Amino acid sequence: MGDLWTGFVVALQPINLLWGLAGVTLGTAVGVLPGIGPALTVALLLPVTYGLDPTAALIMFAGIYYGAMYGGSTTSILLNTPGESATIVTAIDGHQMARNGRAGAALATAAIGSFVAGTLATVALSLTAPVMVRMALAFGSAEYFALMVLAFVTVTTVLGGAGSRLAGWVSLMLGLALGSVGIDGLSGQARFTFGIPYLLDGIDPVIVAIGLFAVGETLWVVSRGPDEDHVLPVRGSLWMTREEWRRSWKPWLRGTAIGFPMGALPAGGAELPTLMSYAIEKRLSARPEEFGHGAIEAVAGPEAANNASAAGTLVPLLTLGLPTSATAAVLLAAFQQFGLQPGPLLFEHEPKLVWGVIASLYVGNAMLLVLNLPLVGLWVKLLSIPRPWLYGGILVVASLGAFSVHRSAGDLLLVAVIGIIGFVLRRIEAPVAPVMIGLILGPAAEQHLRRALSIGQGDWSVFLTRPLSAALLASAALIVVIGVSRRR
Amino acid sequence: MILRGAVVLLLFVTATLHASSQLTIIAPAAPGGGWDQTARVMQRVLAEIEPATSVQVDNIPGAAGTIGLSRFVQSERGNPDALLVTGLVMVSGVITNASPVSLSDATPIARLTGETEVIVVPSASPHQTLSDLIDAFRQNPGAVSWGGGSAGGTDDLLVRLLAEQVGLPASHVNYIAFAGGGAALAAVLGGQVTAAVSGYGEFAGQIAAGQLRPLAISAAARVAGINAPTLRESGVPMDLANWRAIVAPPGLSDAERDAITARVTRLAGSDAWKKAIAQHGWDDLFLAGADFRQFLLAEQARVEAVLQRLAATDPAGPPRLAMSITPTTVPNATLAIFGLLAAGLVVSRARARAVASQLPGFKMAALLGLALLLQPVLMLTAGFIVCSTLMFTVTASAWRGVRPSVTTIAKDLAVGAAFAIVIHAIFTTGLGVALPAFVIPNSLFVIS
Repeated sequence: MGDLWTGFVVALQPINLLWGLAGVTLGTAVGVLPGIGPALTVALLLPVTYGLDPTAALIMFAGIYYGAMYGGSTTSILLNTPGESATIVTAIDGHQMARNGRAGAALATAAIGSFVAGTLATVALSLTAPVMVRMALAFGSAEYFALMVLAFVTVTTVLGGAGSRLAGWVSLMLGLALGSVGIDGLSGQARFTFGIPYLLDGIDPVIVAIGLFAVGETLWVVSRGPDEDHVLPVRGSLWMTREEWRRSWKPWLRGTAIGFPMGALPAGGAELPTLMSYAIEKRLSARPEEFGHGAIEAVAGPEAANNASAAGTLVPLLTLGLPTSATAAVLLAAFQQFGLQPGPLLFEHEPKLVWGVIASLYVGNAMLLVLNLPLVGLWVKLLSIPRPWLYGGILVVASLGAFSVHRSAGDLLLVAVIGIIGFVLRRIEAPVAPVMIGLILGPAAEQHLRRALSIGQGDWSVFLTRPLSAALLASAALIVVIGVSRRR
Repeated sequence: MILRGAVVLLLFVTATLHASSQLTIIAPAAPGGGWDQTARVMQRVLAEIEPATSVQVDNIPGAAGTIGLSRFVQSERGNPDALLVTGLVMVSGVITNASPVSLSDATPIARLTGETEVIVVPSASPHQTLSDLIDAFRQNPGAVSWGGGSAGGTDDLLVRLLAEQVGLPASHVNYIAFAGGGAALAAVLGGQVTAAVSGYGEFAGQIAAGQLRPLAISAAARVAGINAPTLRESGVPMDLANWRAIVAPPGLSDAERDAITARVTRLAGSDAWKKAIAQHGWDDLFLAGADFRQFLLAEQARVEAVLQRLAATDPAGPPRLAMSITPTTVPNATLAIFGLLAAGLVVSRARARAVASQLPGFKMAALLGLALLLQPVLMLTAGFIVCSTLMFTVTASAWRGVRPSVTTIAKDLAVGAAFAIVIHAIFTTGLGVALPAFVIPNSLFVIS
């Protein structure tokens, strides 16, 4: 606790407050702009900050990271265009809420949920980092695979949708197939690339999300004609109603509980916890039929999970020097630029810096809430733009987002093709969310399965002899059994 | 005639703009990695020693750098103001990805830095020295798992070459590829793999804290500050560095090549550079001119040989690990199930005839889909602003679904253009992210 106090003394120095404010503002801006993630922003700023005090620079970078997590939800909700993989899930129901006239509530629950989750996760980070690391290291490939199985079992409930269950499975398999395109991580062998170098690196989930959500939805709206395009004007209170508060607070807490530990896992990332949170909220909700049509829980939970996992990512980064996301990798480069080596000795050698950065996260979260809530009113006005221009703007922003991720024209073509697939899926009443599930979970599950088998020399029993893996698989089996028995 | 004159004039204007001391360094990887950091350190040092030059770093990630390489070779031909960061990983990437373009297609300039690799075991491991580990490996190759970065990368190459040196085929190595040295670190700390291989810097913190034991480093000689023997000292006669180098585009005159070499030599000799690489923990492996070209050929030959032997023993070799799942199992199974389910869906839909409703705007949607498919071409030839303005207008008209009047089109165009110009300004001048040329097509440069 004394350490954290020192940290606050560092973080609350006026000059560091200023750098923190610059960071969160910049972060929010890049989060809103499509295709410019926090990773690229920090990389662009690295050479500029060379002469700066390391603590100040790292406080700013951490602010950018957190800020981008806040801002990223804005385009998902308003334009159906997720800017980075962490906010893909938010787009599913967030944009539907906006169409129902509750854009303000969606943005507010995202901002407040992010604040709650960010703050709680930072508390967890400052209290439990050493313990979390030991737990995270117990996770081998067998455990990751078991976790993926559990995730699959949990999220298959999301498969339903308007059409048949069969259509949901077709979407899931399509996602899995898309996920296996590219160089196989374990053997280096190219799969489904048809000799096209562009496909070697696989298909970026962000590109697919932009294609399926923004482009596919626009084509679908256009095909049904202007009379069918109902978007309700903003109604009710601008922020959240009492009812919406009541429906939001539990998902915030559950999202935090899911997001932080999964973010702390060395192979965690932000996609899995957001997806898990969505599925769990749907399972627990009294109104699962609202999911996919603008359920506030489906925005509150994943947004909290996303921000909590961002704090979780800092656990392996600070204690092991292990980056688990693109942004963390750039942050690691930032540490190295200042001659600092994140790892077990960093807390001992540079306590002022580490605790200063951690304390600045509390401050940054508060700043972000103050910055973002007033912006909600401004963002919502975007929706009163005449429809033809709004869709024109959405397509331009979507194309720009797709293009600027890797600055490749191939991504533009891919977005168009995926958009047309998204249109066809809507036409045959197949849900689009399972495509994302397959694309995100599939490759990870396959890699961990094969890695575990390879380490165990082809012995399948590793999944049952390792206690953690066995426990995870048992809970997955339990969920299936309960699900089947309940249906009867 | 007038058009051609205009194009020539534009080319001239842009050519003179280019001449005002601009340098582009392409890092063929995502931000944060070694190639990206090399490019950004160069950018910073050049700003100090050549204040008149404005240096831009471009990230073109993908496929072990081969995507950046092929774009570099194709679109920068003859341009002495563009450089590409490269390294050992690209040499093997070119081979494993069957890239049509190789490093021999560029103009080698100089090797700059390198990082020594280190082989580590957890501190609780029974293997005290490299020979302990090699003995265990000889006895039962499959039981010793080696964690490291992506397949075909430096870590992978090191273990395969080491296996061949101790008399085992490269394909006997039970190599577990992780997304990077960091993920391998977690696996070795958690005791999931027997040993791990990566750049020394990735493991330095844990080695200093006593959680990992370094068995050997891959450098040719002992490195100051690292308390571990070299491979040679441990009885394995080989060395390998994860080197990084600079190449220039093809089609340069000898004079241009020498000028670039002199420039890079000046950079590598500067105090600022030496200080920066020491801070990053990189070794100074500067080597330029004919010596570097020689070195590059030797590395290409060595890497190609081991990868070929690996591939040759791949399919039939019975001693290779009995893997119950091959790289093609999951994708093929997925595709088969997808086909079955999709067929089932078609059959059930045909019977139910559920989707019979007409789509009034189908023609408009088809038109918009077509426009989207053509967009990549338009983006590259006409630039971002023109392309986005047109897309905006097409989408708006398609949404209305009626034949648009001249005034609505004019209004859409005006709003779209204003929107595109603002976005373009934010991205290029505000954030320094280059979007395709304003009006002048990039492709003209390639054609002319």
